[in-house]
Amino acid sequence: MLPHVARIPRSRDATGEVSDDHVRVDALVFRVGVVVLALSLSAWTLLSLVVLVGRVRYERRRPAPSSRKIRAREAERLVRRVSRRPRTEWGRWRRIAALTRLEQAHHPAVPRLIRSVLADPDPRIATSAIRTLGDIGDEWAIDLLIRALHKGIGPRSRVAAELERLAPAPGEKLLPLLRDWNPAVRFWGATLLGPYPDLGESTLIALTWDSDPNVRAAAVETLGSRSGDGVGAATLARLGDSEWFVRVHAARAAGQVLGAAAAPTIAQHLSEERWWVRTAAKDALRGLSTDAVPSLLAMLTHEDPFARNGAAEVLQDIGFVDFLALDDPSSPLLERIYAAGGERLRDATEQRIADLDEREVRVA
Amino acid sequence: MIETVLSVVVLGCLAYLLLTTVFYATLVVVGAFESTVRRHESRSDDFATLATSRFTIPVSVFVAAYNEERVIESTVRSLLALDYPEHEVIVVNDGSSDATIDVLRSAFELEPYEVFVRRVFATSEVRAVYRSRVHPNLVVVDKENGGKADSWNTALNVARFRYVCGVDADTCFDPQALLKGMRLVVQDPARIIGVTSHLTTSRDPEASFAAPPGRRRIDRNLFVAYQHLDFVRAFFNNRIAWSRLRFMLCSPGAFQIWRRDVLEEVGGYDSSFTCEDIEVTFRIHERFLREGRDYEILCLTDNVATTEAPSSLRNLVAQRERWQRVIDETVVHYRRMWFNPRYKTVGLLGAPFYLLSEVIAPAFELLALLSLGLAIALGLFEPWTLAVTVAAMAFTNATLTVCAVLYDDLQSRMYRTRDLVRVLLLAPLDLVLYRPIMLWARLKGSWRFLRGDKAWHKFERNVRAPA
Repeated sequence: MLPHVARIPRSRDATGEVSDDHVRVDALVFRVGVVVLALSLSAWTLLSLVVLVGRVRYERRRPAPSSRKIRAREAERLVRRVSRRPRTEWGRWRRIAALTRLEQAHHPAVPRLIRSVLADPDPRIATSAIRTLGDIGDEWAIDLLIRALHKGIGPRSRVAAELERLAPAPGEKLLPLLRDWNPAVRFWGATLLGPYPDLGESTLIALTWDSDPNVRAAAVETLGSRSGDGVGAATLARLGDSEWFVRVHAARAAGQVLGAAAAPTIAQHLSEERWWVRTAAKDALRGLSTDAVPSLLAMLTHEDPFARNGAAEVLQDIGFVDFLALDDPSSPLLERIYAAGGERLRDATEQRIADLDEREVRVA
Repeated sequence: MIETVLSVVVLGCLAYLLLTTVFYATLVVVGAFESTVRRHESRSDDFATLATSRFTIPVSVFVAAYNEERVIESTVRSLLALDYPEHEVIVVNDGSSDATIDVLRSAFELEPYEVFVRRVFATSEVRAVYRSRVHPNLVVVDKENGGKADSWNTALNVARFRYVCGVDADTCFDPQALLKGMRLVVQDPARIIGVTSHLTTSRDPEASFAAPPGRRRIDRNLFVAYQHLDFVRAFFNNRIAWSRLRFMLCSPGAFQIWRRDVLEEVGGYDSSFTCEDIEVTFRIHERFLREGRDYEILCLTDNVATTEAPSSLRNLVAQRERWQRVIDETVVHYRRMWFNPRYKTVGLLGAPFYLLSEVIAPAFELLALLSLGLAIALGLFEPWTLAVTVAAMAFTNATLTVCAVLYDDLQSRMYRTRDLVRVLLLAPLDLVLYRPIMLWARLKGSWRFLRGDKAWHKFERNVRAPA
């Protein structure tokens, strides 16, 4: 007992005994404590053993090869597990694990089973089945993936990602998607045609006038990897789209398709109301490199400050400002660029030039 | 009279303890379910396709650095090494008084460029913007000192991509950290507006990543080992369960993915709070629930990063004291959500849980200690009763900790078996070796909150082994 509290008069001092209430409280706390201690000590011991035994078993287990044969009895058990529709979350994942195992063993029942897994109302389970289809990659897997994309089974972005890594490539099987009534399907159809420059050009050009802006954006983006007058005209036309994100894709696509010819039109979009369209225009002009210089110089005196500083920024990024600063530091053109880009652009240029080897820049 | 009051107080404290334990135990059960689901989901996911697909959503990763010359290079290198189809790294030097910017300039061959950025948020003045000659996806912004929230707002102004990931400068990342964080977002970007994932802690994050999974060590320093347990518990017993129950109220600053438009909509990070991570999470919940919008903020079980743990008592107290203050500030600031059914589980479970287990807990713990001591001194309780009660609390707490260790090991199989044995044995001693330090830090934090102190009290970085 602490010496300073020993002087406090207590019920025990006065009566020789602690009152009944206090004895009861002490006894209650003690009993509850003992019960909780017994339970928690057992739980701690048991769970610690579970951790350690589980770990040791895991370390002793051989790593499973990615592809292996399974015995007939095991295959039967796995087929039964996949065929059943489990009620619990745990059962669903066991179902997926069983399907993966059968797929690794190239079991003939997989095509039939995977259809039933795809029909699972839980999108996470359907997503796992989609991944399995991507691993299989046969013609029937492509058909099922396109059907999944069509019907919205699982997230469409995941279906698209799996379709894009397949060999054989789905190619022409994607074309019907462009004519679907559902804009989400048309969007993914147009997007997935990116790697196929010879497919569906006329339909894609038609889709740049689609009623759904997402479809228009996807069509323009895909056309950006192609060439030809019709494609160029379609991308330029979308630079005037009512939706800003369509204009974003159109600016990038026009630069890729038309090259220097599109520079004056794209440069005009440096004065766009939307920041992201201006950014896309800058990206497109950067991509055109020195071909864009005349159009950018013309923008240095534009009435819109965003257009002026955007043009100066692109001229800086493509190395034109550094070239001028090294070649003729007193050039009036350089002063015009500094005037458009501001003092910080001048400071940054001067600092870069001070750090650079002049010969290295000339070679570049 | 005093005996009666003491008895009531002791019983009240025990009832509080019982209530919080029951709540924690419930969360452990929910967490177990959620961990199992996420574990299966993660294992059946196709990371190889995600890592190469053009449909994987690009991310702007940003890090605020204030006097981080010792650690910044390794952090940025681990961010640049992330296995992700398209990401940019934005480092904001927040007016460091040490050589942080010089380290960055020489390590990544930075060159100054004028970059015109959006001014969505007002921030302190930007001195210069640098780009790397060797890493086209690295941007370094050098600005006047304005605090972490100000730096992250600066990064938001610079960010180009639709999703952003705020990280700490003292953290090393798993190469698949972004893939692990974004794998669910890719499936439903309209609803999933925020994600965080499991983090661990170490004195030297780089060194801890050097060992392969299964051979990784848990720090031998006792403080750090207990902090490791604290992190494991916080994620597997709490945040994973909160995520399931849809009140994930704290996306930690070391790794938080947000949809950029959501941050812009709620006004970005708020400099008026001691720390920004928990506050912005509360604010987003408040806004979305008030407007009745469908959304999710998730906490995943995959280990994505190791953050630096303070290895000295002084630094540990300074860090935890700050955490306590920001929790107090935030929970009190958003008091309109407490027990308010309009805010669904956030109002009915999350905010009250924070209030009960974080804000008023230090006061209760102090009261319990004092009253128990006094009760023993007055002879109301036998010393044996105290010993049994403390042992019961220690093993109850240890049981919850072991559950978290179990889920962590099932998920990652990351640590050596002998290290697991060590932390399992350390768990029951947590109550007497680690909790008193936490209690002191939390009391200090609560006191400073009451005084309106908002200083950061940054702790000194650990000395690390040379690379």
